[in-house]
Amino acid sequence: MEIEVKEKNDNEMVFILDDVDVAFANAIRRIGMMEVPKIAIEYVNIIKNDSVMFNEVLAHRLGLIPIVSDIEAIESLIPNEECDCKDDAGNTDGYCSKCSVSFTLTKNTPGVVYSGDLNSNDPKIKPVYDMIPILKLKEDQEVELEAVAIVGRGKDHAKWMPTTVCTYKQYPVITFNDEKELSNDVVEVCPNDILKLNKNTKKPEVQNIENCTLCRSCVRASENDAIDVGYEKNKIIFKIETDGSMTPKEVLLKACDVLNSKADKFIEFF
Amino acid sequence: MIPIRCMSCGKPVSAYFDEFQARKAEGENPKDVFEDMNIKRYCCRRMFITHVEVWE
Repeated sequence: MEIEVKEKNDNEMVFILDDVDVAFANAIRRIGMMEVPKIAIEYVNIIKNDSVMFNEVLAHRLGLIPIVSDIEAIESLIPNEECDCKDDAGNTDGYCSKCSVSFTLTKNTPGVVYSGDLNSNDPKIKPVYDMIPILKLKEDQEVELEAVAIVGRGKDHAKWMPTTVCTYKQYPVITFNDEKELSNDVVEVCPNDILKLNKNTKKPEVQNIENCTLCRSCVRASENDAIDVGYEKNKIIFKIETDGSMTPKEVLLKACDVLNSKADKFIEFF
Repeated sequence: MIPIRCMSCGKPVSAYFDEFQARKAEGENPKDVFEDMNIKRYCCRRMFITHVEVWE
């Protein structure tokens, strides 16, 4: 398996996997979305809410705010379901300082309340963005609440999904049949400008093939099979975009860890 | 209030909403603002351009 990173920044990464099964890429994709742990607000104790927003809407909005969940932050908390703060009666609710981070929000001045107004009891674990509007307050209105964030997984709720886009596609291949006449309509019809007319030869040429979405608009426009769009079976373009709570690299490495630990269960068993 | 995240893909679009509104009020072309803020998908863009503020 060969890996080539095409684009990389704080919350987006595109890379090409060569000589790899679709099944493997899909395993990484699904684990990256559903089973990579992330921190999100789960419990909200509302002490006072004078605003016109309902408590449950407010709690839902708080839950969706991305919270810094890099490796260091995740490892400083134990998973809520494994914590010994649960009672013996099988009650799964509950939290303690070892498995949760607490945020307080108090405001009584008119205006918009932003995610930056949340005060965390752990300086490292805080909202990723400070400018997310949560609610509005008018004159003489007040909001006071405690929000508790725990580690969770995307399969339980979308707020624990570290990735927004986590997807792959097979590497596109465009082939021309030189025996047949290719109409120049194919250039105009391509939505991503993959095909460009070469001024010297007066024939369409392929550029930026990785942007091709395999929509086959060009195949339909040519009408005589002079062009065909296919894909390389074992070459995959993988894209990970995160909500900012962790880097795409951390998501990928953690997804591999999770896959590894699942496979380890077989090794332990036999 | 604008939803915290894009309803389709989950990108936290609300973090950019104030900036978008301010720049649009100054007369900038929304398309240029989106490209500048790196909001590429039409699912995220519609969160901004179709939003109607009813909370006054």
